[in-house]
Amino acid sequence: MAPLIEARDLTKKYGAHVALDRANLKVEAGRIVGLIGPNGAGKTSALRAILGLTNYEGQLTVLGREPFRDRTQLMNDCCFIADVAVLPSWLRVDQAIDFVAGIHPRFRRDRATALLAKTQITGRRRMRELSKGMKTQVHLALTMAIDAKLLVLDEPTLGLDILARRAFYDALVNDYMDETRTILITTHQVEEVENLLTDIIFIDKGRIVLDTSLEDVATRFAAVSVVPDRLDAARAEKPFYERHILGRVVLYFENADPGKLEAFGEIHTPSVSDLFVAKLSGGAA
Amino acid sequence: MNKNSTWLIRREFWENRAIWLIPAVFGGLLLIAALFGRVSIPQLTSPQESRVAAAAFQGIIGATFAVVMSVYSTWYLLDCLYTDRRDRSILFWKSLPISDATTVLIKLLVGMLIIPLVYFAATDATALLAAFILSIRARAAIGSSLWNGEIWFQMQVLWIYLIVTAAIWYLPIAGWLMLVSAWAKRAVMLWAVLPPLLLYILERVFFGTKIVGHIIGRRLGGLLPVAVNDPTRMWTHGGGVVDNAAATSITVWQLINPRGFFTSAETWIGVAAGVVLIAAAIQLRMRRSEI
Repeated sequence: MAPLIEARDLTKKYGAHVALDRANLKVEAGRIVGLIGPNGAGKTSALRAILGLTNYEGQLTVLGREPFRDRTQLMNDCCFIADVAVLPSWLRVDQAIDFVAGIHPRFRRDRATALLAKTQITGRRRMRELSKGMKTQVHLALTMAIDAKLLVLDEPTLGLDILARRAFYDALVNDYMDETRTILITTHQVEEVENLLTDIIFIDKGRIVLDTSLEDVATRFAAVSVVPDRLDAARAEKPFYERHILGRVVLYFENADPGKLEAFGEIHTPSVSDLFVAKLSGGAA
Repeated sequence: MNKNSTWLIRREFWENRAIWLIPAVFGGLLLIAALFGRVSIPQLTSPQESRVAAAAFQGIIGATFAVVMSVYSTWYLLDCLYTDRRDRSILFWKSLPISDATTVLIKLLVGMLIIPLVYFAATDATALLAAFILSIRARAAIGSSLWNGEIWFQMQVLWIYLIVTAAIWYLPIAGWLMLVSAWAKRAVMLWAVLPPLLLYILERVFFGTKIVGHIIGRRLGGLLPVAVNDPTRMWTHGGGVVDNAAATSITVWQLINPRGFFTSAETWIGVAAGVVLIAAAIQLRMRRSEI
């Protein structure tokens, strides 16, 4: 089966600034993929290209289409929430439902109303009267009622408090995700999403630094709390990152022989956030 | 008209309630004036005179609505591709399967035909009610009704004709406004006015000519000269003396000049310029999603 999203040498320039620099990535169907990078790394540019919101150089197919040229058709099978605050202030909740129901062939009104029935939000309210958390609920209800193959979320919880953020991700995993869907999510707050992801893509300075599934992370990466007198021997195995915590030294290895590493100290699989820090500040080690 | 277009038009009415609120309020104010204002209408003695009075009455009401409408429509076109970029709601609209060309063309349709038609309906309702009120209040004085069915019908023809010809004639203006609306990061009004003004000044300074000014002036003021026969020419004899009999018997069919309008090169040059500007606005709309 062809990947849902495939980018080859994807490049996006804004004048002299290169936001995406020959980025390659692949997203398979049925995954929850986190596109993770620091601010200004090119996450949003990548998403905008994938959603057909900007033109770009290089090759990019999403659901078998060329996004910039075929955005209209692409949006039949793909939906996105680019920050929750974008529902227009004058729009009423019932108007939003009517409109999307009228426009979108795959929108299921009963599902949207069922989702909203669980909230305190009534149909006559305008977006400007709703709190940010409530707007999120409306936007989520609208989006989750669409039978889309691909859902793209760009920093979806920016500006939300922790309760609303948790509710957002719980709804996403419990009510929305199934094997027919794929979710691509960008964030710079790794901790928040690392438990729900199946795949991670790290992006930095417009380039893809890592593109892997979480199953592979366990076999590919290892973090070792090195016993002090073995430090030099461990360093000889070429860790790509070194971290000092409370007098202990943790070394990060990629594709190293676990049998050898055992001798240096306690081995564990790095968390996504640790790996992120290690990968992005690596090279300096 | 397909289903999506209907929804997109409805959406414009949701967002811009002023489309119907302004004409409704304005018509209401005119009716209040008709109800409580001082009525001084000269005695109308002949059927001819009451025809003229009816035509003048409906014409004045229509013209005032037309002035308000052109101000509002200009503002609408200038704003329509800008607000949703400013508040970022464009990202919501673009998450739906609607092409940018459809979006832009629907907004053009609303600005150039639907808003004028709403004002047209408001004109008719106001004129009908005001004529009714004034005719009752001033019946003794004018000795006849301000309402004249035949004049009313002729006025309908004239308004529809002017709405259609204006939509075609002002296409390049609309295209320019929408282009600015799709492009500017702020101060749309300034961006709409400044570049043509600057061109005008530069041309005057460096070449001493006024071609730009002439083109813009002609486009802004040229609709009636091109689309409508000059009524004063019909009214006057050779020496410029107004012939009252001719003036009062002129009909809409003598007034409108569709053949002249649709065969004028100016009309089609304008259409071509408008199409280019609107195509550019669509291209910008595809590329610019936020400010």
